[in-house]
Amino acid sequence: MRQFGTIFKFELKSYLKNKIFVGVTVLLVAVIAAVMFFPSLMDGIGGTAGGSESENESGESSGTEGLMLFFAEGVEGEEMLLASFKEAFSDYEVGKTEDSEERIKERVASGEAKCAFVLRSPTSYTYYVDNLSMYDANTGIADTVLGNVYQVNAMTKSGMTPEQVTEALNVEILGETENLGKDQMRNFFYTYIMIFALYMVILLYGQMVATNVATEKSSRAMELLITSAKPVSMMFGKVLSSCLAGFLQIVAVFGSAILFYNLNREQWGDNYIIASLFDMPVSLLLYMLVFFVLGFLMYAFLFGAIGSTASKLEDINTSVMPVTLLFVAGFVVVMFSMSGGNVDSLLMQICSYVPFTSPMAMFTRIAMSTVPVYAVAASIAILIVSVIAVGVISAKIYRVGVLLYGTTPKIGEILKAMKRA
Amino acid sequence: MKLLLRNIFKNFGEKEVLKGISFSAESGRAFGLLGRNGAGKTTTIRILMDVFGADAGEISIDGKPVDYKNIRIGYLPEERGLYPKKKIIDQLTYFAELNGMKRQEAVKAADYWLGRLGMEEHRNKRLDTLSKGNQQKIQLVTALAHNPQIVILDEPFSGLDPVNAMLLKDVVKEEIAKGKIVLFSSHQMNYIEEFCDRIAILNDGVAAIEGDIHDIKRNYVRDKLVVRSEAAQNIRQDLGSCCKLKEDGSLLVQLSSPDEKQAMMQRLAQTYDLDEIKVFEPSLNDIFVEYAGDQAKEAAV
Repeated sequence: MRQFGTIFKFELKSYLKNKIFVGVTVLLVAVIAAVMFFPSLMDGIGGTAGGSESENESGESSGTEGLMLFFAEGVEGEEMLLASFKEAFSDYEVGKTEDSEERIKERVASGEAKCAFVLRSPTSYTYYVDNLSMYDANTGIADTVLGNVYQVNAMTKSGMTPEQVTEALNVEILGETENLGKDQMRNFFYTYIMIFALYMVILLYGQMVATNVATEKSSRAMELLITSAKPVSMMFGKVLSSCLAGFLQIVAVFGSAILFYNLNREQWGDNYIIASLFDMPVSLLLYMLVFFVLGFLMYAFLFGAIGSTASKLEDINTSVMPVTLLFVAGFVVVMFSMSGGNVDSLLMQICSYVPFTSPMAMFTRIAMSTVPVYAVAASIAILIVSVIAVGVISAKIYRVGVLLYGTTPKIGEILKAMKRA
Repeated sequence: MKLLLRNIFKNFGEKEVLKGISFSAESGRAFGLLGRNGAGKTTTIRILMDVFGADAGEISIDGKPVDYKNIRIGYLPEERGLYPKKKIIDQLTYFAELNGMKRQEAVKAADYWLGRLGMEEHRNKRLDTLSKGNQQKIQLVTALAHNPQIVILDEPFSGLDPVNAMLLKDVVKEEIAKGKIVLFSSHQMNYIEEFCDRIAILNDGVAAIEGDIHDIKRNYVRDKLVVRSEAAQNIRQDLGSCCKLKEDGSLLVQLSSPDEKQAMMQRLAQTYDLDEIKVFEPSLNDIFVEYAGDQAKEAAV
């Protein structure tokens, strides 16, 4: 136990003193701070600019987007169309023009006018714009306006009163949604981020554990270690210290995100995505903690055992491939189910009990759907038992693996050696 | 304190590595564990250090089974290596702590040994900034810092320059004088002869010979004569195949039995003008070659 403590402290210190570990954590926190404080900073800068703008605008109440030219010479109902355009494009200063089409093009190209609608008939037009923006919805609006005007005209002609037409066109449907479970739309973003964090941390730290063990072996420090400490203490010391290091990193990143958000809550106001991100229930954070610790241990033990069988650092990448693939496969299943909106599919149900995938699968289901308590308990119980079993087996592989040099041993050889040990 | 290994067996799968090794070592004396590569030295050391258990046999200290919780063993492995990227004082303290010292004690001990080996200026450097010889001295500290009762040194002199070798010799002598059991494993026979009172030569999983180095030499069959003479050529013609020319120009005469010694000496002294004639005393190297491997068998054929 004392040896475990010594190893745990030594390994944890290596992580906390590691420049890359500290650098990445600080960088992530800085990025989150920059994002979270962005609206406040923009308010600070935009506040003064906004003030002067309102002064300029005091003279005219509309036309923030600029001048929109409107040409409808000889088209039936020209005045009504112009009025409808003015109403629909309230951001623009809609100005009727009698210029020739060439002149209109020039005015748009020179920037004097933002854009122009040249109507050929009540149902056809040409839209002139200099640099069509990705978000330009003007043609869509124009289509609706023209369609409406046409419908109203047609209906009036067939004998309906304008009131009847308005009523028929603006009929209001009353509908109400009552969510009895969870709002997947709202949960999606934070579940996505949490799953992604789980994935990154487990994979990164797992690899680190494997590399760490293989480095000790290839530098021959293992020769001395194995005679100074029990393999079980070594394995558990390494894995648990990396688990704590990973946990600290997650707490630093998520903690700072929550802190910075709360400092800037007012500025973010009604931003739907950001608000839904920080709307996660505390119980879910606790579940995340449980699944993070268990999932992490599961994979870190495996990675540690694999690291012990490699003699050279270069072998690590290929040796860890099967375990990495298993984990990535689980991740892909979860991600597809999430974006497909069906987190309770049969595959996901199976995955949420299989210990290699359950940390992600069951967590996703808890976050985005309603899972009975007994199912959650069963999944966690299976996971705990598996973690203990994998821990014991990994320690045995480790004990044998660290003494094997030369080519990476086959699984059969390791099993034989474990029997003998 | 007396360390005794009795009838140690160890198999790795089909391969029998140790087939009943026995030897004993006492405190205040150095013991040489010899043998060719693959003879089972490292396996014996690992069993002794409880890295894995023996299939059969027993290890005892003063007649009682070894209590690994209370015995401190220091080990300098043949395959050297520590953490290249970590600070020297940190790793020395770490290993001393792993071997049962408290943190304060460990730092103190590491500092003492860095000073003793003239390495104090490197205390806060990374290991990989040191030369190979200096790295080896750091490795030696990991074997000694926790004040072990049993010190196991595997090829301690390889890679050391003569000045550092001298320093290490002094340190080893100090450790022996402190009453520790020092177990040496080396192929450099001159060092073994210099330090060790007792040796065991392992061959093919058994101790081919074990005991006091002087007794082994004295009990060596006295059936060879060393002759130095100007008339070496004539003597060789006279004695035929039982007479061989050694590298130093002297002759080695193989007798059919030790009883023949007196007669042969007289005969040669009367017939030829001899500069020197004496019974052949084997060096440790000769004994090693004879007991440690098939070269000896081939030579006999």
